[in-house]
Amino acid sequence: MEINHLTKDFPSKKVCVHAVSDVSFEVNEGETIGIVGESGCGKTTMGRCVVRAIPATSGEVMYYPAEGEPVNFLTIDKAKMKELRKDIQMIFQNPYSSLDPRMTVVDIIKEPLMANFPKMSKEEMEEKVMDIAAKVGLNVSYLKRYPHAFSGGQRQRIGIARALVLKPRVIVCDEAVSALDVSIQAQVINLLKDLQREMNLTYIFISHDLSVVEHISDKVGVMYLGKMVEYAETESLFTRPRHPYTEALMSAVPVADPEIKLDRIPLAGEIPNPANPPSGCYFHTRCRYCKDKCKEAAPEYREIETGHYVACHYAEELMLRGFNYEETADNGN
Amino acid sequence: MSEKIEKSSQQDLILDVRDLKINIELDEGTLTAVRGVNFSIRKGETLGLVGESGCGKSLTSKAILGINDKKCKTTGEIIFDTNDHGMMNLLDLKPKGKEIREVRGKQISMVFQEPMVAFSPLYTIGNQINECTRLHITKDKKKSKEISLEMMKKVGIANAEKRYDQYPHEFSGGMLQRALIAMALVCNPKLLIADEPTTALDVTIQAQILELMKELQKDLNMAILFITHDLGTVAAMCDRVAVMYLGKIVEIAPVKDIYANPMHPYTQGLIGSVHKIGTKNQERLFSIEGTVPLALNLPPGCGFYDRCHKRIEGVCNVKEPELTEMSDGHMVACHACAGGCKGCSQGVQTTENRKGEEEDV
Repeated sequence: MEINHLTKDFPSKKVCVHAVSDVSFEVNEGETIGIVGESGCGKTTMGRCVVRAIPATSGEVMYYPAEGEPVNFLTIDKAKMKELRKDIQMIFQNPYSSLDPRMTVVDIIKEPLMANFPKMSKEEMEEKVMDIAAKVGLNVSYLKRYPHAFSGGQRQRIGIARALVLKPRVIVCDEAVSALDVSIQAQVINLLKDLQREMNLTYIFISHDLSVVEHISDKVGVMYLGKMVEYAETESLFTRPRHPYTEALMSAVPVADPEIKLDRIPLAGEIPNPANPPSGCYFHTRCRYCKDKCKEAAPEYREIETGHYVACHYAEELMLRGFNYEETADNGN
Repeated sequence: MSEKIEKSSQQDLILDVRDLKINIELDEGTLTAVRGVNFSIRKGETLGLVGESGCGKSLTSKAILGINDKKCKTTGEIIFDTNDHGMMNLLDLKPKGKEIREVRGKQISMVFQEPMVAFSPLYTIGNQINECTRLHITKDKKKSKEISLEMMKKVGIANAEKRYDQYPHEFSGGMLQRALIAMALVCNPKLLIADEPTTALDVTIQAQILELMKELQKDLNMAILFITHDLGTVAAMCDRVAVMYLGKIVEIAPVKDIYANPMHPYTQGLIGSVHKIGTKNQERLFSIEGTVPLALNLPPGCGFYDRCHKRIEGVCNVKEPELTEMSDGHMVACHACAGGCKGCSQGVQTTENRKGEEEDV
């Protein structure tokens, strides 16, 4: 899958909000791409555009099906769409509001099958539902119940089962574990990883939690005000961030170890209004390395090392602080 | 010498919760939400209360202020060092009486989880902060506005004069949380209860708010009861940590101890299930099997029995473990750690080994 210059505007009477502007990245099969950013940076909107839950303003999502020619997922016609939609599925943020309270769990998981394979026999459907439910660790004997009888972690498993029942290739996980307790979070993350290995899934993992993203992702993209400001392999990004925003974001994460003294880089103020973004580099109002050039010209999003993309004028010169993997590993022991 | 310290620490005690129990009567039976909680807080100290949702941490904190629902039957003692009357059991006071009102909001105040929900949308921010000052400090409107404005500036709300007359919907989440903190601190409380104050916020804003709380704590010399499920913020904020599970404190220790040497299997699981950022650990996270059971008709024995990987049959499911002191200030409620039975001295051994190592260093 390849995402090119994806843009989404929300026009209103007075102003136009550029929720996502010109985001591009590649997704290889079997990979996990993490997308991080503060609330309001457009990461959810981007995820929804990718699955075509909302129409994008411009740009393309090139999808390479298992067989046949690559297609632009955003412009294909209805018939083709129907065929390909089962390949790309989504897991939603809130397991409490994304399940219909009036449907039993069996029906919830079965619904995508009914929509996509109306001719499938009832028995076959039941069988598939049971199969997938067992796979995600749901107790099969409880499936006739309604969602309210399940806990948060169980509900999220239902959501995962629903996304998986069509045997998709790509799953967009929008804050899939954010609403869960830490111990349940660990269970769900482990489950997602196991399923990935088993079914050769590709994840686009959207989250604001950097530690979860670091754990699960092969590559990570950082978004700020609708733009991708940095994109690189996980290790490269966390050991040697190139964008000041990434550096500040990483320093703000509390580490579960009182021995590590945090040297926080204060990020003053808040995310500016996306309807009226600052001139030049969007981040210059909060950047501690800001120079005159940043206020005037928008930086180019470019490849600075192989596979490491960044949008900052001074990416080459700045020596930004990341995590030193070896050092922290020693401390841990 | 040691006597002196003990005495002074006794005097420094600001809150002492003893054997707090909260039962809720439901149609299905009695929900034992909090089952005998003991802890104390000293002046200027931050105690973290950690646990998963449903473990009773919020009920405990609300019981201190006496703002729980009528259905909650609360027993035990909550001793608080009041300004006028000295040590007083807050549970003896009428929940709507004059005395508790003197304490609530003035000497103990609370920062709630969801800043968007905690404010009334119908009144201006200034009006709502003012409410507290007018009740507790001064009836003079001008003066109370002055105090409120000063507090708003202190918590870092820029343009306080203009912000004073704005409504909650005009504030962003981070700013609103600052306003909520201003409202809680405006009467200079001795104890601040912060119930997941940063859970709803972004990491960058969270870092700002935590720094702010630390600074204000130093300035005002207040104690904080910090309730959260995020072990990262606990490490950054607290002096001591109490881990709660199913309405009981299972482990309480100084913050460094609990991360370096967690003893209770539940604490170990909690710490193990968080991916430590900056460590290249791509392996599976440690996860605690199962979920927190509902506190209805609990079987005898340890509440963690079903999920525990160190459980001892015939011991853990028969008798409930008591909090016992393992080392200085480190208390654990676990049979497997206590080493009082055969084949379970593992926990104790490892701690002894670690101690030995530390001494060697």
